[in-house]
Amino acid sequence: MMRALLLSCLLCASSWAQVRYDDILKGPGENWTTYAGSYQGWRYSPLKQITVENAKSLAPKWVYHVPNARGLRSSPIVYKGVMYVTNSNSVYALDARSGRLVWQYLDTRAKGQGVNRGAAILGDRVYFTTNDNYLVALDRQTGVVVFSRKFADENKGTTSTSAPLIVNDKVLVGSAGGDSGVRGFVTALSAETGDELWRTYFVPAKGEPGSDTWGDLIEWGGAAAWLSGTFDPELNTLYWTTGNPWPDFTATARKGDNLYSCSLVALDLDTGKMKWHFQFTPHDTHDWDAQSWPVLIDTEIGGKMRKVVLHANRNGFFYVLDRTTGEFLRATKLIDKVTWASGIDAKGRPILIPGQDPTPEGNWVCPSVKGATNWMGQSYHPGTGLLYVITLEQCGMFSSSAQEPQPMKNFSGGGATEEGGQVILRAIDPKTAKRAWEYPMTGGGRMWSGTVSTAGGVVFVGDDDGHLVALDAKNGKHLWHFNMGELLTASPVTYEIDGKQHVAIVSATAVFSFGLFEPTQSVPLPKISTQK
Amino acid sequence: MSLPTLILVAALLLQHGGYLGDSKNAAIGNPEAIAAGAKLYATSCAGCHGPDGSGGRGPNLVQRAAWHPLSDEGIFNAIRNGLPGADMPPTKLDDDQTWKLVAFIHAISGPASENKVPGDPEAGKQIFWGSKAGCSNCHSIRGQGGRMGPDLTNIGGSRPLGVIKQSVLQPSKDLSFLGNEAVTVTLTNGKVIQGLARNRSNYSLQVVDHKGALHLISMTEVKALDISQKSPMPADFGARLSAQEMEDLLAYLSRQSLRPPETSSSKGKEK
Repeated sequence: MMRALLLSCLLCASSWAQVRYDDILKGPGENWTTYAGSYQGWRYSPLKQITVENAKSLAPKWVYHVPNARGLRSSPIVYKGVMYVTNSNSVYALDARSGRLVWQYLDTRAKGQGVNRGAAILGDRVYFTTNDNYLVALDRQTGVVVFSRKFADENKGTTSTSAPLIVNDKVLVGSAGGDSGVRGFVTALSAETGDELWRTYFVPAKGEPGSDTWGDLIEWGGAAAWLSGTFDPELNTLYWTTGNPWPDFTATARKGDNLYSCSLVALDLDTGKMKWHFQFTPHDTHDWDAQSWPVLIDTEIGGKMRKVVLHANRNGFFYVLDRTTGEFLRATKLIDKVTWASGIDAKGRPILIPGQDPTPEGNWVCPSVKGATNWMGQSYHPGTGLLYVITLEQCGMFSSSAQEPQPMKNFSGGGATEEGGQVILRAIDPKTAKRAWEYPMTGGGRMWSGTVSTAGGVVFVGDDDGHLVALDAKNGKHLWHFNMGELLTASPVTYEIDGKQHVAIVSATAVFSFGLFEPTQSVPLPKISTQK
Repeated sequence: MSLPTLILVAALLLQHGGYLGDSKNAAIGNPEAIAAGAKLYATSCAGCHGPDGSGGRGPNLVQRAAWHPLSDEGIFNAIRNGLPGADMPPTKLDDDQTWKLVAFIHAISGPASENKVPGDPEAGKQIFWGSKAGCSNCHSIRGQGGRMGPDLTNIGGSRPLGVIKQSVLQPSKDLSFLGNEAVTVTLTNGKVIQGLARNRSNYSLQVVDHKGALHLISMTEVKALDISQKSPMPADFGARLSAQEMEDLLAYLSRQSLRPPETSSSKGKEK
């Protein structure tokens, strides 16, 4: 009884609490306050109520069906018992204990209905972006609109799909739309007003350094930044990845490396100035965006402790860079089947195998256009020291087109198809790049689900066949699974309410929350009196 | 606007994007056709359906999608043939005139921000934020104002004038949405919370209190629950405001939109 009293008071008071920058800085626990869980991009939680031993007792606690949803991509944000989930141009606030809707926001007149990967929180607000590039700030308690500010023109091809990243007083938003010709960027907007503070483009303007790595189409070069970045508070540096150059599959009009496409860029938080860049796939012709967010860890590489950034790339290789300087340290094969490059040289450039570009007849290349991995959430577990990455062993046909490139006409300079293949969750030791274990999945290679790992020693992952699965983080042993009955296109998170750990994941159409099984207690009908 | 009405309209808007079965007839969305349709409406229809379509002897037309969704063709046929068994007679209007009338009805059942609305929005602004009506004590627009009532930032951009008007004048009319009432909750620990329930069930309750703070409550923590059958919104605005003031207030609310009104030319570009 005392416990119930205490909890109810805590809840009454705490749901009103402001989210401070420090709350986000200290990473997940009871709450899950930013897209990748922590600024370091670990998707790791110190919660340990659910363990290797008891995970077999997990049971669904509630389901919320998002109206008219399909292919939801949202990674939930949870703060003090309220969960925020997005769909295209909409936000749903749910009671994280019961799954009941608290409020919803829907911008019916936003142009287009692309995917949306999630929200961000600060103070008493929740932020998200619409498909047509409005940053919307809503009151967390009531869903009331505080502001809705446009930050980019959808008539120039830019759309918005990623969850904003909030650092201190800034909301950082990247651009999407790189397959139809855009000029990719990240912009910092004031969390208070939505005013623009800085904007950094990832295709240089004519005459700027790097512009000589492009041809005539430089104004539409692509390099979209369609996944949230990560942040190192000590170095005051943002790490963001960029997408493919445009047109995707025909490169005759863009001779050169096409900087800063398919790259990792380090940006100063205060100014947006690029501190360094590293290009994984110079002059990409296979649509291998660098998306998969940069994971920041301090570890021993070659016998020396280093601040590094890990990056599992769509091009088939797993990279380790020094995150202070951008120095290339190592690249190894992420997947087994790679046919376009025999390796990565000492400077970090791919050693190309000739004849692997798309052709008018079609060219069979591995990995496929979907890539060796993609934007599915990776997780780094500081206890096991392992990085858990969804990988895809798949090849595909890449074809080029002789058609004159036209931006914003859905023209990508050819096309690509993929066939068969297998999704495999791999646990990689960043110290050695060796695989500690792997968990092969069944399915059609169509999933976009990622991972979360916990101090309880469990890795949760959506599989390629519509199951949420719990694995032993040490050895990949299966502990529990639940058939969610549809394709999974988002990553799980974990949070705590009433002292109970939950694991939540958004499926194609609904939000599910799981916890350890407890028998239901009878709830007496409330004593209700009515006033006329 | 009462909360239940908001929820109703929100539910309605989920399926919005254009109403069910929008016609491709050229009159739909054409300002000249709508203006011509308005004249026909005033002489042929307003007597029963009200000057703004909000109903009278005949049904409310602006809530058509809520109660019985009709396609543009369905409206056309109802005007042409009448409704047998009801008081709605057939008409002798030609195709062109009938489509103009459909275009007008289509327009007034769309967002108020996209239609011509009588009244002075500037004068209405003073009424909204002033003490005589006191709207902003409970409602907010772009982050300013109270948090207990529904947000009105996009009220004109999402609802027809007739719906807004009814919600101001008769806030309790649609109070049939069990679970979203004004409540006083007494917890087992003696604490009392007053506010608006959001989506109450037999097992859990969320309440936004008078300060705009959200409380998540399990029913096992509830000792007593007192529920009002009336909207917390005052029902006396019809008497409290003059006809002119009401028109001005509605004009101001009609202009509240997250997005600039779509012009017919920009609509044309999308097609």
